[in-house]
Amino acid sequence: MAKQTFTTGQVLTAAQMTSLQQTAMLGGSASAKTASYTLVAADAGTAISMSSASATTITVNTGLFAAGDTVQITNLGVGVCTITAGTATVNTSASLALAQYESGTLDFTSTSAAIFIKGAGAYTSLASGTLSSTAVDLNSISQLYTDLYLVVVGAYFITTASQCVFRFNSDSGNTYNQWYGLLTSTTPISETDNTFFQTSRNNVPTSANASTSIVYIRNYATTSAKQITATFSTITDAGGGNYWSFGSYESSTAISSISIRSSNGTSVFGGGTYTLYGVK
Amino acid sequence: MTNTKPQVKEINCESGEEIIRDANEQELVQMAIDAANVKTRETETKAKASAKAALLAKLGITAEEAQLLLS
Repeated sequence: MAKQTFTTGQVLTAAQMTSLQQTAMLGGSASAKTASYTLVAADAGTAISMSSASATTITVNTGLFAAGDTVQITNLGVGVCTITAGTATVNTSASLALAQYESGTLDFTSTSAAIFIKGAGAYTSLASGTLSSTAVDLNSISQLYTDLYLVVVGAYFITTASQCVFRFNSDSGNTYNQWYGLLTSTTPISETDNTFFQTSRNNVPTSANASTSIVYIRNYATTSAKQITATFSTITDAGGGNYWSFGSYESSTAISSISIRSSNGTSVFGGGTYTLYGVK
Repeated sequence: MTNTKPQVKEINCESGEEIIRDANEQELVQMAIDAANVKTRETETKAKASAKAALLAKLGITAEEAQLLLS
């Protein structure tokens, strides 16, 4: 039941009592949204779910809520739902963005300010989707995440065959070192001073495949510490060979962007998926 | 008219905003450098493989036998 003012002598209906009981048992009335939405006063004490394939926002304005009011927000959709400060102030120790199946509560401290308390999760999905275009750039990675995991599955190119590579902070210096090997060979091949991480030494297939790469980044927020980054891949290359690879990258700059692209710079992704997870 | 410029899909991990845009001049320059680097590395790799094969032939041993000597 939405928050309301009762008057002396008012007779409560059974439906109102049931709704009050539901709210008292921490199961306030639910409101389902499918597009960006601006909160209204009647949302106090309720739960709002968002379900949209595109990115959406929940906007918070002043003068609608009182200190102590709460609004629970859950994102059921694939599109990221972001809590947006309209005329009100919204602070959080976490992110205001809710990935699919994430949830949080707006806890109003005054009529013009709220704290967004996001449910803790071991992994937060920061971005996910299908590989397309010449490059997929994951930007504005929050430095609140001390550990990042990028998982890329089945990347391939539909134009010129190429290698799938990763580059951090647009760093094209000779700072990436790697080892490669055929699963059937005990002789690894090293490659130092490369300008990116390659998922394979050879070109990836030009059609759907089961290749997998995981990039781990220990992303210290201070520039005094070195970032430790590693990549692990198992790839079936264009010639049908099964390769593994791993590598390391060091930098004193916190990583705020990752580019997934072709080694030749111009091949266009035909498919494959990426997911970037953050851990605080 | 067909757009032949390479395109970049940008995802803002804070807001979830996603845009697809043409590569800018700086990115096009970097793409050209990357392509040149790939060609150079391919040439070097092929040259190394040829030199290795020639040496093995000269010595009259196989790659596995050479590996055995080095282990």
